[in-house]
Amino acid sequence: MKQPLHALALALLVAAGIGLPDAYAQTRTDVAVAAPWHVSGIDPAQDGYTFQRMEVGETLVDADATGALRPGLATDWTVSDDGLTWRFDIRENVVFHDGSALDAAAAASSLNRAMTRPGILSSVPLEAIEADGNAVVVRLSEPFSAVPAVLANYTTMILAPASFDAEGNVVAFIGTGPFAVDKVETPLSLAVRRFDDYWGEAPAIEAASYLSASRAETRALMAESGDADVAVTLDPAGYAQLKRVDGIAVEAVSIPRSIVLKLNLARGPLADKAAREALSLAIDREGIAAGILRFPDAAATQLFPPVLKGWYDADLPPLAYDPERAAELLAGLGWEKGDDGILTRDGARFALTLRTFPNRPELPLIAAALQDQWRAIGVDLAVSVGNSSEIPAGHQDGSLDVALYARNYGLTPDPVVNTVDDFGTGGGDWGAMNWDAPEVAEALTAALRQSDPEARSAAIHTVASALQQELPVIPIAWYQHTVAYPVALEGLVVDPLERTYGLSAVRWAR
Amino acid sequence: MRLPRLVGLVCLLVIAVLTILGPSLSGFDPAKQNLRAILLPPGTDGHLLGTDNLGRDIAARILGGAQITLSLAALAVASAAAFGVGLGMLAGWRGGVTDRLLGALSDAVLALPGLLLVLLLAAIRPDSWWTLYAGLALTLWVEFFRVSRARTRVLTASPAVEAARLLGLGRWHVVRRHLWPDLSLQILTLAAFGAATVVTALATLGFISVGLRPPTPEWGVMMAELLPSWREAPWAIAAPVVALAATVLSLRLAAGSEG
Amino acid sequence: MAISLGKLTLGRIVQAAIVALVVGVVGFAMMEALPGDAAYRIAAGRYGYDMVTGAAAEQVRSELGLDRPAAERLLTWVGQTFTFDLGQSAVTGERVGHAIDHQLGHTVELALVAVAVALLIAVPIGVLAGLRPGSLFDRISAALAIVVRAMPAFLIGIVLMLVLAVELGLVPAAGHGHGGNFVLPALTLGIVLASVLTRVVRNAVAATVASDAFQFALHKGLPMRAAFLRHGVRNAAVPVVAYLGVQMALLLEGVVVVESVFSWPGIGHALTHAIFERDVPMLQGTALTLGLMFVLLSFLADLACRALDPRLNT
Repeated sequence: MKQPLHALALALLVAAGIGLPDAYAQTRTDVAVAAPWHVSGIDPAQDGYTFQRMEVGETLVDADATGALRPGLATDWTVSDDGLTWRFDIRENVVFHDGSALDAAAAASSLNRAMTRPGILSSVPLEAIEADGNAVVVRLSEPFSAVPAVLANYTTMILAPASFDAEGNVVAFIGTGPFAVDKVETPLSLAVRRFDDYWGEAPAIEAASYLSASRAETRALMAESGDADVAVTLDPAGYAQLKRVDGIAVEAVSIPRSIVLKLNLARGPLADKAAREALSLAIDREGIAAGILRFPDAAATQLFPPVLKGWYDADLPPLAYDPERAAELLAGLGWEKGDDGILTRDGARFALTLRTFPNRPELPLIAAALQDQWRAIGVDLAVSVGNSSEIPAGHQDGSLDVALYARNYGLTPDPVVNTVDDFGTGGGDWGAMNWDAPEVAEALTAALRQSDPEARSAAIHTVASALQQELPVIPIAWYQHTVAYPVALEGLVVDPLERTYGLSAVRWAR
Repeated sequence: MRLPRLVGLVCLLVIAVLTILGPSLSGFDPAKQNLRAILLPPGTDGHLLGTDNLGRDIAARILGGAQITLSLAALAVASAAAFGVGLGMLAGWRGGVTDRLLGALSDAVLALPGLLLVLLLAAIRPDSWWTLYAGLALTLWVEFFRVSRARTRVLTASPAVEAARLLGLGRWHVVRRHLWPDLSLQILTLAAFGAATVVTALATLGFISVGLRPPTPEWGVMMAELLPSWREAPWAIAAPVVALAATVLSLRLAAGSEG
Repeated sequence: MAISLGKLTLGRIVQAAIVALVVGVVGFAMMEALPGDAAYRIAAGRYGYDMVTGAAAEQVRSELGLDRPAAERLLTWVGQTFTFDLGQSAVTGERVGHAIDHQLGHTVELALVAVAVALLIAVPIGVLAGLRPGSLFDRISAALAIVVRAMPAFLIGIVLMLVLAVELGLVPAAGHGHGGNFVLPALTLGIVLASVLTRVVRNAVAATVASDAFQFALHKGLPMRAAFLRHGVRNAAVPVVAYLGVQMALLLEGVVVVESVFSWPGIGHALTHAIFERDVPMLQGTALTLGLMFVLLSFLADLACRALDPRLNT
């Protein structure tokens, strides 16, 4: 890392007007990443995504920047004709960071251990995961087309047997990636160094560090001052600011994450489809996109963003902004404005409480905007900013009215698993609530089991159009993933799936 | 009266008048947004101090924030003073077990730094004016208690009070004639300091997201909201900064602060 | 005024016990009263919010025994507090004692540097102002102290961050790991402490200069500098050290705020995060440590005063 003297010399150079990246170019072999998320622990079920993004741990299946699956620690996979048995051939000559070799037995036991923890595997109808020769065999109780996609999720990263103690707790993160853990300081930092026996192409940089800085403006300042090289998830103002700084490149990438409003359809006012439509019509998405997110293109016209190919449906009529129509719809349902400007029906006020959380800096701002926009049509919205977990908790105990969050449909490269969780029978913690739509559940099951592309796409179309008409959740915006990095850091590819920071491919310009 | 104190009092008076008149003075609703007119510079379209990151009128929000902040300060300080002075006089007057018990209670509150106690209490119910009020009043009463106990103790032993007692004059007479005139000035000074503490604490907790929360137009919250836009719109964050600094400074000057 | 050393020690021990009890009971009651379900909040901290589900929360609940009666958990906790068994973080699973060990080091480093900065600012200014009370320098420094004191610590931090780190690019804006990271948090905290300390030094020096002994020394023909070094320093130091003791509250409050603003991985930062993540053991561990630190520092200041001023010893 930089020494104090070094920093002082650097400061003088900067003061003298010499560009920062150039001054650094000759000597640097490390990269510092600043992101909002804590490194709470080393269990992949915990903040495993950070270990995946820092390329410490790897999964059997990998995905490229378009979301297409490609071999990871498994070189190939096949499914039996009945769709119940998947075989993943394990890559040869792969060693863990402790020098032990990867084999099917190690991979299977790592996956079996992951099954005992919360994670995406619990969505799969698993019978067993076993080693068979040089392959890992996954047996299912019913067909499930997305097994490879699930095995690309970070909770299924393969760790060496020595990573676990007798109870299955992770005592050390021993993965197979191009970088090995150097030091973990929970909850704020993770240092990694190049792993020289990596099976793939060795990275150019020697070391990297991950710093958790929860405030967006802090990350922007760190990027500007050179204290962090790669800064991710910037706030709109920080993004605009960094754009103007010489020597720093900023990128905004559409990712399969949508900012949505979850509605509890069991709440009286929300049970009417027309009321949900009115609420949606009252939302000025373009205003939110332009004024808060500062990306006019981010306004959602439907739930799935265009980056989710196969799920985004260009034929759907886009969501519109029309507060007058919204007021008409509500009047048609018998709502009348009271003295305080709030709608009432049968003595009940149209009042709701919205839950959201501050980890993504724009969410509380959007909540404040919604509060204002809904008040214009006579809906009283109280905003409660708290911990994200209050949303699933409210889903489970039924206390939730409305929730605002950013849902990642790219947890697995194929969003079918999330979609089933969110909109299948009974809805989901991060999806529909008290929405009864058997035809959607049926179509989702078909999408889950079918591997025939055409039948699948028909099923997906059914789902997408039902979501657009029924609005069990109201889409607000498509998330823009933002990254800032020095122009001298070459080869950085921003991954729309947020699977990697791309550090193994970067090098500092000479 | 010394000049700084006079300046402080005059500023306080102005702040108080502005606060009582409130957001309507600006001609805008502090909650009304215009996402297509964000971060306007001062003076644009009738926005005296410009607009914030959601296109809300900053002047209206500053005044709304003043109402929240100063009402909290006034109420927390008044409660703390009433409670602290009452108990302080009781302890000083009665002495003995009462005094020791109350003394121990005040020591228990002082066992932790004040802000830490407020922080812990504020977490019981986030974003609650009343929790903050309770926490701040709880930490502030001790100072009033200690001062009034010490003064009462000295005064009750004084010849004048003893004479009054011998003459058979009642407790109230002693309090009114001998204790209160002596104490009231000190209490006012303490109250001004206490109010400065409340204003600072509220903004601090709001800024580090453990006090009041958006969209409440609280000054610390506003600073946290506007900090990211500081280069684009330095005037926007300057407004709550100046409001906070001016209020605290006036209170401290009015209290007769010598630093 | 003289209090025996034994009584002083006993008083601080009682204070420490009160801290432990208050933190234990209040903290626990607080967590019970918090809205929402602790198991969900903890699960979100552990698994990331995309992964929080009812199932994950149930697992956390049974693992941590959150379904036991409140009274039983409170008794267990208070018992553990008094045996210094702080338990495990409900979020990271790390032993609280171990985590605090790390954080305490960072906090103490920061506090020491900040106190040094405060002394470096306050002593020269205070002495110069105190030697010539009423001079222009004295008035300016007094006015400055009043203005700085009116500024909340977080505001000073932000201003320094914007000016030194962003506009001038001299030091890192936030983070931890190398020397440059010290500058902003230590300077912020140091300035906050110095704004009070400067006036204390100034008043103590002014009082000393006005004292008979000092004036007599000047009469004897000793130059000002020598007179002050011989007679003034020790007398002036007593109220300064005593005030340093009182300032411990300011220091600890400043630590919580400044660490949060600059992402300094110390106890204050951990405390605010523990509140947010509803990590009961971590919250109580950090609050307890800060409270005990406060008691210990106050006690050390007591001792320092006694060492400097023998009249206090009986």
